[in-house]
Amino acid sequence: MALFQLAADSDTAADDATLREENRRLRKVCQALMERVESGSSPSNAPYAAFERSVLLAEQVRERTDALHRTLDELSQVNARLLAANAEAEAANLSKTKFLAAVSHDLLQPLNAARLFASALETHALPEASQALVGHIGRSLKDVEGLLGTLVDISRLDAGVLHADKAPFAVSTLLDALAEEYRQVAAVRGLTLHYVPSSVVVDSDLALLARVVRNFLSNAVRYTEQGHLLLGCRRRANGLEIMVGDTGPGIPEPQRQAIFLEFRRANQSQSSHSRGLGLGLAIVDRISTMLEHPVTLASQLGYGSLFSVLIPYAAPSTGASSVAYAQKSWPESERWQHNPLQGCVIWVIDDDPAIIEGMQALLGSWGCRVRAAATVSALEAASDGERPAVLLVDYHLGDHRENGIDLAARLRRRYPGLATVVITANHEAALKRATREAGMHCLLKPLKPLRLKMLLGALLESHA
Amino acid sequence: MTIAPKNSGIQTAASNQLNPFQAARELAQQLGHEHLGFVLFFCSAEYRLEELATALDGAFDKVPMSGCTTAGEITPQGYDRGSVVAIGFDRRVFAIETALINDLEHFDLSRAQPLVDSLLERCRQQAVAPVNEHSFVLTLLDGLSSREEQVLATLDAALGRIPSFGGSAGDDNHLAHTHVYANGQFHTRAAVVVMINTRLPFEVFSTHHLEPLAHKLVVTNADRERRRVLELNGLPAAEVYAALVNCHVDALSPSIFAQHPLAVYIGGQHYIRSIQRVNEDASLTFYCAVETGIVLTAMRPAPLLLDLEVMLQRVQQRLGATPTIIGCDCFLRRMALESLQQLDQASSLLRHARVVGFNTYGEQHHGMHVNQTFTGVAFGALPTSGG
Repeated sequence: MALFQLAADSDTAADDATLREENRRLRKVCQALMERVESGSSPSNAPYAAFERSVLLAEQVRERTDALHRTLDELSQVNARLLAANAEAEAANLSKTKFLAAVSHDLLQPLNAARLFASALETHALPEASQALVGHIGRSLKDVEGLLGTLVDISRLDAGVLHADKAPFAVSTLLDALAEEYRQVAAVRGLTLHYVPSSVVVDSDLALLARVVRNFLSNAVRYTEQGHLLLGCRRRANGLEIMVGDTGPGIPEPQRQAIFLEFRRANQSQSSHSRGLGLGLAIVDRISTMLEHPVTLASQLGYGSLFSVLIPYAAPSTGASSVAYAQKSWPESERWQHNPLQGCVIWVIDDDPAIIEGMQALLGSWGCRVRAAATVSALEAASDGERPAVLLVDYHLGDHRENGIDLAARLRRRYPGLATVVITANHEAALKRATREAGMHCLLKPLKPLRLKMLLGALLESHA
Repeated sequence: MTIAPKNSGIQTAASNQLNPFQAARELAQQLGHEHLGFVLFFCSAEYRLEELATALDGAFDKVPMSGCTTAGEITPQGYDRGSVVAIGFDRRVFAIETALINDLEHFDLSRAQPLVDSLLERCRQQAVAPVNEHSFVLTLLDGLSSREEQVLATLDAALGRIPSFGGSAGDDNHLAHTHVYANGQFHTRAAVVVMINTRLPFEVFSTHHLEPLAHKLVVTNADRERRRVLELNGLPAAEVYAALVNCHVDALSPSIFAQHPLAVYIGGQHYIRSIQRVNEDASLTFYCAVETGIVLTAMRPAPLLLDLEVMLQRVQQRLGATPTIIGCDCFLRRMALESLQQLDQASSLLRHARVVGFNTYGEQHHGMHVNQTFTGVAFGALPTSGG
């Protein structure tokens, strides 16, 4: 090693001074090297150390980084596959929801017609055995309709197409009718319904809130073996609490969350009575979330359960002119003993011949004089210049035609003040609002004969 | 000026105009087109830099640019001086994002990582090519900042496996003011990081032509802050070096330094530590970090032209017939060529290999600050389906 090659020349004259100098330099070199060796083992921020580290680590780090990146690549591939699988599952779920909504909707049409026919048939003079059979058919259809309605609701809620249409209404509008209906249902099962009326005005979506309370009542009836049911309200600081209580078996604490999920029932042993899908409280959960009406459940095993939903009060200034108010007088069915429908002229416009036929049969059985057609011109041709008392019009009259609201508006220019009911399978809040703003009424398919009859009665009364 | 194939995505141009505005206009005429996405330039330090910045900004209207001053340019015609050379990148083939590091003193990993992440993300958004495996980094550093090692080591740690290379800005051997250009102006004590993401195949390379001799010199006293070696083997550094290269201390000059380099030997490789100048106190200032106790090996140049030719051939074999190359060439190599009167031959080699670039005060390769190398990136042609 030629480290001291420069000094080597002076070796020949190896005098004292040279050797001392050589010695001094060697010591210096030794010291520098020791310093370097020692500092090399401690972490340092010095520039040369950074360079040296870069050199030494370059290869090593690159290898490890490569290994790490390979692992990360594999992970991200796995992750990508999982994401793809998840997206597929979501897409499948969405398409299932859409499919369910579409199928349910398509089933409603023929079911609607079947219900109309069955109701019409009931009014015919039939042998007693046949009468009983017709009754069974009617009830079976009603069950199918209920189940289908539940499916439609849940699929619409899941698909996000159902929107709240909040308006002020007196809570009695809703609860009086429900109390009447469930008092009879409860009586069939040997239960009594205790109803505490209230006239408080609340702000909610009447139809959606009705589903919530109806589901509470159905559950109460279904699970209560004996005793009584309670339907009532309590004024709270932040809203009106509608409560449905029962003297059923109660719901064990661990199940109180789960019963709000789909297809769950608290007590499977009583399945003999239940014809539901176990979707009732799942629907309650979705609707109450959408309406922002909190639902609470109190229950004591062996004593009963109390379901309640909290609805905000309506702002005091809101006008009392809404259609919901007008409907307040519906359930007073006793007044219809004299049958205001008798002999009145009702026009029906629908593009489905089966519906037209069904409506003719049903309305005819109530004593109405029915003129039904697919178009206005056909209708007027058939009506001999008679002025109609009520117009029933299908909202969706085919792809290339005006909708039911526009058609009705056109007719009303010719017959001012013509009472109009728009019938639609479209559950969107916007449509309901549009009919209300046009001063018309709206009924949803499947059409419930009793509800139609009550609405017609109310309309004819008010125009009388 | 260049005859690049249509689908290369790279165009090169140069101007000898001393007037900054005329020079900028000439470059813009050669490079300007609707898909021009980025311009990289290297300019002589002789230019009035403020005017040049204004001129380039005006001539290239909103096209992002980065660059630095040089110790000599490599234009499409070969070695040149007093000129400006520029490279235009097509945004259909390149996604290029830049960041300026103003505070070299405090550039630590906590700053480096977000900087790199942000560059990668911005490239990714342009969706030109996958970011992994299709990106590299070009660094341009102020060549007189004495902070290259720490900044590069930190940046390299943040870059992970993304290759990087670059050069330290020069100033025609005045050793006074070196500048990097970013965000519309020239900066000192700063670094520019250029993230280049491309559909083109590329290769980052580094070569030198030096061989070790038997002589070893131990640094017995060094001033690390100023990159000065005060003593070698216990004697004043300049005296020892002068004796080694067999000349008088007063005769030591950059061309001597170029012909008689020193290197450190780490991990089985020699890394050149180039001498910048001799000081009054017989100490030696280096272009890179030094430390007491390091062992310097005397090196001897092998034929530079042969090494260059072999390297260029290797790159051509790997990337195809006519790659475009951006080169950072140590100015000491150029001095060596000048003293050997081989500059024209070297220019011819560079011209044929389609090299553009500049002479540096130090090169950067994979986070290492090195000297007396030819370091750069070679681009292949787009796969034919892309044309």
